[in-house]
Amino acid sequence: MSGPYAPGPYGPYGQRPPHAAPPPGYGPPQPGQGPPRPGYGPPRPTFMPPHYPPPQYGPPQQPYGYLPQPPPPVRFSEGTHRLHWATIPLRAFVFMVIYFALLGFPLLLTRTENGARFLDAPEVLLRFLVVTVPFMMVATGAALWGWFAVRFRVDGDDLVVENGVLRKRARRIPLSRVQAIDLVRPLMTRIFALTEVRVELAGGEQSEIVLRYLGRGAAQQLRAELLARAAGLPGHTPEAPERPLWRLSFGALLGSLVFRLPVLATIVLFFVSLIYMLLFREGGMLAVAVPALLGLIRAVFAPMVMYAGFTVAMSPDGVRLRYGLLETRMQTVPPGRVQAIGLVEPALWRAIGWARLEVTVAGYAGERQALSSVLLPVAPRHVCLYLMSQIFPGTNVDAVALLPASAKAIALDRADGAGTDDAIFVSRHGWPGRRTDVIAHARAQSVRLTVNPLQRLLGLATVHVDAPPGPVRVAAADRDLGEARAIVESTARRARAARRAGGEKARWAR
Amino acid sequence: MPSGPAAPAVPVPDGLVQDGPAPAGPVPAGPVPAGPPVAHAYPQRPEYAADQAFEPGSGLHWMRLSRRHPWERRIMAAVWAVPVAAVGAFVFAQGGGAAGGLLWVALVVLGTVLAWIVAELAYRSYGYAERADDLIVTHGVFVRRLIVVPYGRMQFVDVTAGLLERWMGVATVRMHTAAAATDARIPGLPAAEASLLRDRLAQKGEERSMGL
Repeated sequence: MSGPYAPGPYGPYGQRPPHAAPPPGYGPPQPGQGPPRPGYGPPRPTFMPPHYPPPQYGPPQQPYGYLPQPPPPVRFSEGTHRLHWATIPLRAFVFMVIYFALLGFPLLLTRTENGARFLDAPEVLLRFLVVTVPFMMVATGAALWGWFAVRFRVDGDDLVVENGVLRKRARRIPLSRVQAIDLVRPLMTRIFALTEVRVELAGGEQSEIVLRYLGRGAAQQLRAELLARAAGLPGHTPEAPERPLWRLSFGALLGSLVFRLPVLATIVLFFVSLIYMLLFREGGMLAVAVPALLGLIRAVFAPMVMYAGFTVAMSPDGVRLRYGLLETRMQTVPPGRVQAIGLVEPALWRAIGWARLEVTVAGYAGERQALSSVLLPVAPRHVCLYLMSQIFPGTNVDAVALLPASAKAIALDRADGAGTDDAIFVSRHGWPGRRTDVIAHARAQSVRLTVNPLQRLLGLATVHVDAPPGPVRVAAADRDLGEARAIVESTARRARAARRAGGEKARWAR
Repeated sequence: MPSGPAAPAVPVPDGLVQDGPAPAGPVPAGPVPAGPPVAHAYPQRPEYAADQAFEPGSGLHWMRLSRRHPWERRIMAAVWAVPVAAVGAFVFAQGGGAAGGLLWVALVVLGTVLAWIVAELAYRSYGYAERADDLIVTHGVFVRRLIVVPYGRMQFVDVTAGLLERWMGVATVRMHTAAAATDARIPGLPAAEASLLRDRLAQKGEERSMGL
């Protein structure tokens, strides 16, 4: 064990001299198979020439091929910022497309004896240009004006968006009220790698801020900065790391969309009507086939395009969703912003243990509610339950024992039930499809007891635990009247305790 | 031990029926009939029998609306009834003779009488009580409702009064939460009392405000 070629137990070439004693702990040496591999630790290089510079010295190595260096980070808290310059050509282009479809294309046509025809005569081209060039200038001017009008900056704990060139209007948004931040990449903006930033706020008309459009990297930085400040951290905090939770494969999505009773029935109806039409030459069956096809497009193809590549990830900043084939959406819902969750199990899905998750987030309203209310289009039930336990921490929906509704109720089966623990209120109803609605006591807005005339005859009542408007309505239906009132009181008390315990934090990192 | 109705006896899990001080401690296991809560476990809790379901509880009494509230509704009904009766009677008399016109007027009078009765019932059904941490409102003639709104959840409280309401010296207090379904409004309060109630609610809401 001496000499220039054996400085260590393995030598400079990673070869252990055959006569050397085996290092302790690795077992007997295997002759002729090289050094024994350690069972743990980083993999060591088996061969390293002495002249090779170690990677930790010297300047950072450029990887092979051309990779653009990332631009220096933009500080949105310093100075005033504008939208990406490519917004101007994009808006002008969209305007010109509409112009061409409505007015420009007919200008190229000339009326002849054989109807409208395309003639490549110079006067036709001149006529087209005389109309088109002013339109193009107007479009460019309007797009330039629109770009010039919008300025934004992060000022302390507020996002300030200024609008207008001559008459200025500034909106100041306290970031503690942010409910969700979405990055949307419509198909049109892919050319310039642009991204739309939507900041959803709680309550009222115009409760969203839309910045249309930012560069891709700038949008992500803005989101990171807004989330960091909303969480109560310094604005230059890098984006929180995320932990992938579920990735929906295309096949699973398609299968789940088709594997539903109404969809299967519609498919059968479509093919039966098609075969009938071909066999008996009965054109009237088109009245059945076409609506069936339209229904299929709406129920299968539209969600398929919308939710393709659905990915759910958890991060300290909340739940992150990414999805979309043509229009990519990236949603971030910070902790405590999910008001209520619904676990939806259609009849066939229940048989194979699939489920869908819907959420109520206070910021989303109207059309955006429909676009953004799905938390998981389809996943195994246990994944859905795990995600629910992540959103309402420390809860297990399945562990909450549900009391069935009163036996006096008129119902198809005894599936209806409700239950509660100290953190959440759970209600379940529906047959053969079933949905389970969950609200955290800390998020309940009010508790209501209602008795409709039929229920009054039977001595029953329904208890509602109200959340902001959304797809999830939590209600314990058809309880006995006295029990219902007891539920109201206990729910109010639990909600109070949950709120006092600090069940909600506007700034989740503090 | 109260005897339950015909409901199947189910083991009661932590808390839906019985009502421990949250966070709830261990609960008695075993079958407990659904119905009134287990009064023996927590004797200090109010016991809710079916006929107590719309009482304010904890020794409180419902605060009632002003007697002027049903009269405001009645005057409103009458104000609507007169033009409806006149125009309808005119149209029917043109088309079907005097009998049609009279029938229409009779129908409108019947509707007005019903509205007057409902106004009285609505007045009797309304009640509100300010509890330690929440406001509790009950109302409803056909669908009975009981609404519990925590003070900390009120986003804002407003007082409105229409023309007739102002003339009669009453006003409506409305509580807004983030949930649109909450719909807690108290109509027909004397105007001075309404603004006092609003100020009290706003102050309590401010003290307990929780954000969204």
